[in-house]
Amino acid sequence: MTAVAILGGKPAVASEARIVSAGRRRGMGIFLVLASVLMLLTFGLGVSAGAETTFRLTSPFSTAWYLAPLHFPVRETSVVMAVVCAALGLLLIVRRRTRGTFVIFSLGVVLFLWSFLAWAARNNLLDLAGMIGATLISAIPIIFGSMSGVMCERSGVINVAIEGQFLMGAFIAEIIASASGDLWLGLACGALAGGLLGGLLAFLSLRYSADQIIVGIVINAFALGLTNYLTDTLLVPYQNTLNSGPTFSPIAIPLLDKIPIIGPDVFDQNIFVYLAIVLLVVLTTGLFRTRWGLRLRAVGEHPEAAETVGIHVLTVRYRNVIWGGVIAGIGGAAFTIGSTGEFSSDMTAGLGFVALAAMIFGRWRPYGGLLAALLFGFANSLQATLSVLNVPINPNILVMAPYLITIAVVSGLVGRVRPPANDGKPYRPQ
Amino acid sequence: MVSHGLSDPVIRQRRMPGVRALVVLSALALVAGVASTGAASATATARHRAAAVVSHKGSFLACEVTDTGGINDRSFNASAWKGLEDAKVVDPSMRIQYLSSTSASDYEPNIKTFIGLHCGIIITVGFLMGTDTENAAKAHPHQDFAIVDYSYSPPIKNIDSLLYDTNQDAFLGGFLAAAMSTTGYVGTFGGEDIPTVTIYMDGWVAGVRYFDKVDHKHVVALGWTPKKNRPKGSFDGTGTFTNSFTNQAAGRTDASALIQRGADVIFPVAGSVGLGAAAGVKAYGHGVTMEWVDTDGCVSVPSDCSIFLTSVTKGIVKSVENAALSAVHGKFHGGNYFGTLKNGGVALSPYHKFAKVIPKALQNGLNQIKSMVEAGTISIDPDSYPAS
Repeated sequence: MTAVAILGGKPAVASEARIVSAGRRRGMGIFLVLASVLMLLTFGLGVSAGAETTFRLTSPFSTAWYLAPLHFPVRETSVVMAVVCAALGLLLIVRRRTRGTFVIFSLGVVLFLWSFLAWAARNNLLDLAGMIGATLISAIPIIFGSMSGVMCERSGVINVAIEGQFLMGAFIAEIIASASGDLWLGLACGALAGGLLGGLLAFLSLRYSADQIIVGIVINAFALGLTNYLTDTLLVPYQNTLNSGPTFSPIAIPLLDKIPIIGPDVFDQNIFVYLAIVLLVVLTTGLFRTRWGLRLRAVGEHPEAAETVGIHVLTVRYRNVIWGGVIAGIGGAAFTIGSTGEFSSDMTAGLGFVALAAMIFGRWRPYGGLLAALLFGFANSLQATLSVLNVPINPNILVMAPYLITIAVVSGLVGRVRPPANDGKPYRPQ
Repeated sequence: MVSHGLSDPVIRQRRMPGVRALVVLSALALVAGVASTGAASATATARHRAAAVVSHKGSFLACEVTDTGGINDRSFNASAWKGLEDAKVVDPSMRIQYLSSTSASDYEPNIKTFIGLHCGIIITVGFLMGTDTENAAKAHPHQDFAIVDYSYSPPIKNIDSLLYDTNQDAFLGGFLAAAMSTTGYVGTFGGEDIPTVTIYMDGWVAGVRYFDKVDHKHVVALGWTPKKNRPKGSFDGTGTFTNSFTNQAAGRTDASALIQRGADVIFPVAGSVGLGAAAGVKAYGHGVTMEWVDTDGCVSVPSDCSIFLTSVTKGIVKSVENAALSAVHGKFHGGNYFGTLKNGGVALSPYHKFAKVIPKALQNGLNQIKSMVEAGTISIDPDSYPAS
């Protein structure tokens, strides 16, 4: 691609549209047919006749308009769904048209999940609305982390330090909010702390061309060591003044919070959920519809070309890596002032790396990262729900599931994933 | 062309940044390393000031290696440290110091560091350090150890193993939870599927089932299903776990899953991960309460006291203090110690804000059950009672 093509042409959205090859279409079809066999034999015929399940669509005390729980027989439902799923799979195998492939495939996956959940909750109850809420809550930090990753990597710098930025953001936000009693100040300082670590990452990898992955790992170790040290020396003796602060309370958006099932889970949440939605819209439009985004992507794809048309590559990279750090810092603040109101050692527990995986799974796109984060959140929520329902599936297998999917995505099984061409490569101005 | 190497100014200029980056990176790594072990020296400094009159040479040093939860986990690491601090109050001539483990690979080097410092006694905290402590003790037979939450069979001469029958007080906690539930569901979850965690969940579920039996009710205990026909002393079963003692977010997800299924009393057995459960409980509201674990929650997490019915505690503080003091006074003896309701090694903590909410009759009933458990006249094995 020439500089003119990147910088002078229209925003390159159309060129990024997915093209589904016949082979992959067939692969998806076979997957659905195999899934339908499992549905038929295990979730359908494997269940004793007369077993019923209840899916609750409105949680108790929910503010949403009431929907009666769904009450249905497991065996019959699963058999019918298995037949439909198999038909969808066959359709994908014989069909020639490309359009609608993903819609058909997703429909099949939803049928499979529905029948799996019905089987898991047979003779029991499943709070579908509650599960969606738990999904969103555990996805929130991952969403911020993956957005941070998108910002950095689209401009050509790999941000492995999301975990460290999370931890620092969580720690600083808590201390400041707790000491000052001002949540917004805490949030701002948490974001700033993330931004500082982003600045450090940018400085070392841009000024000194150090290996970005090594720098990221060192920053993570640094953040963990520093927060542990400060926790021991500051938070232990001053627990009540520095580490038991307020948390953001939920803000209900009138009417929207009445939408059945998702209303209270999405529109009666604290500021972090709304920030994530705003960020998603801003980043998506910014990256693909504005000059700023065009330059950002140009710098990540072909820095030499960008330089020749007068873009200062390093400045653009510095700016975006620092902003990426700020976003991760906000995600970190969600751990403390957005949830528990107390910092504890290593509380981010590797979620920064999950966010990195979500960004890759989301193909370096903001909405892709969002969907992947929601998938990871759903896997967490599903794992907890299944273990409470005492389903005889080893919980460790469910914990593995999102990572298996990520490996599948990264290795190209689900489709070709292409990172920005100059991702992770140092650039020296000529 | 002959290579000019570093004498070539262009190449030199290009290389220097790399060297400088390396210097900055190693400085960062150094800070990270120092920070993770720095706590010990920081407390050491504070101590030097406090006990300036005491001659350091030859004075007794008591050392603690924490588990990954860190010294401020409001749970067993913090309790063991409190035990050492209390011992120091009794005998101000001793010095105390700790090292934090950030991962399981830190256990062995931390223990070795303390052996090198000639600690009078090394306290290792947690079941997960069992093997590393045993290896170190066998390699250094003249070094005294105490380990929290682990026992050896046969006992090892230079390890004082501190184990707690926490299923006894958890039994009382489970009974209380079942009695206070209005939905007919209560739930527990653990940090990891290891015996020192599941013993709590097991006793708790037994308490719920015992309540059903004596009060002819149907309260369902979620989150832990004990295996049937286990050998004596086993706490095997299947249940809900966060698989982490630091991931508060996972604690919140597990608590939410229990609440969604109807539970209105939650018992997290996961150290500081319980803080995530508390956040979930508070976000849900509507009368859902919790029981804290290991320490009295109203003391260790005062900000959440309003949702704690009680806490199911174990007396790590006292037993670590005793172990350290006996070592100071040259009376160290290895072997296995078991904390029970009877010897005060485990206990249900005061009801604090719920003292007026929990009916008097129930409080009296709990006292009676306590004496029955002490006397061994009722079973605290969940297998002895039918499940709802």
